[in-house]
Amino acid sequence: MNAIGPRVTELLDELMVHSLRGFPLTNYGIFLVIALILTLGFFLIASRRLTLIPKGIGNVAEMGMEFIRDNMVFDVIGAEGRPYLAFIASMFFFVLFNNLLGLIPGAKPGTGTMGTTVTWALIVFVTYNAIGMRKLGVFGYIKSFYPKGVFAPLAVYVMLLELISHFIRPLTMSIRLFANMFAGHVILGIFAIFTVLMWNGSAVGKVTAILPLAMQIAMYALEVFVAFIQAYVFAILTTVYINGAVHAGEH
Amino acid sequence: MTGSLSALGAGLGFAIGAIGPALGIGWIGSTTISSMARQPEMAGRLQTTMFIALALAEAIALLGFVLAFVLMGVK
Repeated sequence: MNAIGPRVTELLDELMVHSLRGFPLTNYGIFLVIALILTLGFFLIASRRLTLIPKGIGNVAEMGMEFIRDNMVFDVIGAEGRPYLAFIASMFFFVLFNNLLGLIPGAKPGTGTMGTTVTWALIVFVTYNAIGMRKLGVFGYIKSFYPKGVFAPLAVYVMLLELISHFIRPLTMSIRLFANMFAGHVILGIFAIFTVLMWNGSAVGKVTAILPLAMQIAMYALEVFVAFIQAYVFAILTTVYINGAVHAGEH
Repeated sequence: MTGSLSALGAGLGFAIGAIGPALGIGWIGSTTISSMARQPEMAGRLQTTMFIALALAEAIALLGFVLAFVLMGVK
């Protein structure tokens, strides 16, 4: 039983950010770069020969883009959302490729560390606020938080709440993505530790080791699902926030 | 000894903190299903809204998860 503690510590230590000796990137940074190359390569290959009826990879890329355009951008923002499609789609596919890359044994998701997710959430935060400010001007945008026709002290209170909820957005967005990927990898690692310990433990353990192994396979399938869901959630929240900025001051 | 107490606190903190979001996620799912059954033509839009609501409920549980890791480090 005592063998579990140090192994879990080792697992958690392995999942922290380490600098690599003689190399300018961290262990997560490498996989961020690989995911970037994969995303770029995927779309460069997909758009190499553009035909009316796409084939192979082009078909997959078109399906993904159509999903984002119709089910996310046009559904939430409407036709005014067209200029922001590129931004939202890049966010979706980069997060997705990072999440999926992390599922390869030995690889890490670039999204599995706070540094990455906080940066992306801040990019989204700055972007949607800039969109709102470009539309209404800096003062107009800040004034749009102040509800009209409401008893003044209450309106100030509502405005304060609105401002707090806006500043909490990048925090929740980054923690959501990071914690989902990190927790998933910790769970997978812990079931792997259980399997190995049971297998090495005793003769009975050789039979019962099938239980954590089956659990791990089930969790792995769940993690693939989570990788898609989290990319979707990150992109749809970006869309919703941009929608709030595009339609600021209209209600 | 103090280390194991902070581990206990972390575990309990996450466990108690996960009750609310768990109920919330279940409720969001069940109400979405009943709405979809009533108006199948709205299913697409309901699904989008459902995922947004799920993400917001889930964030609370994950805040507890991060807090648990912070507590684990307390000596």
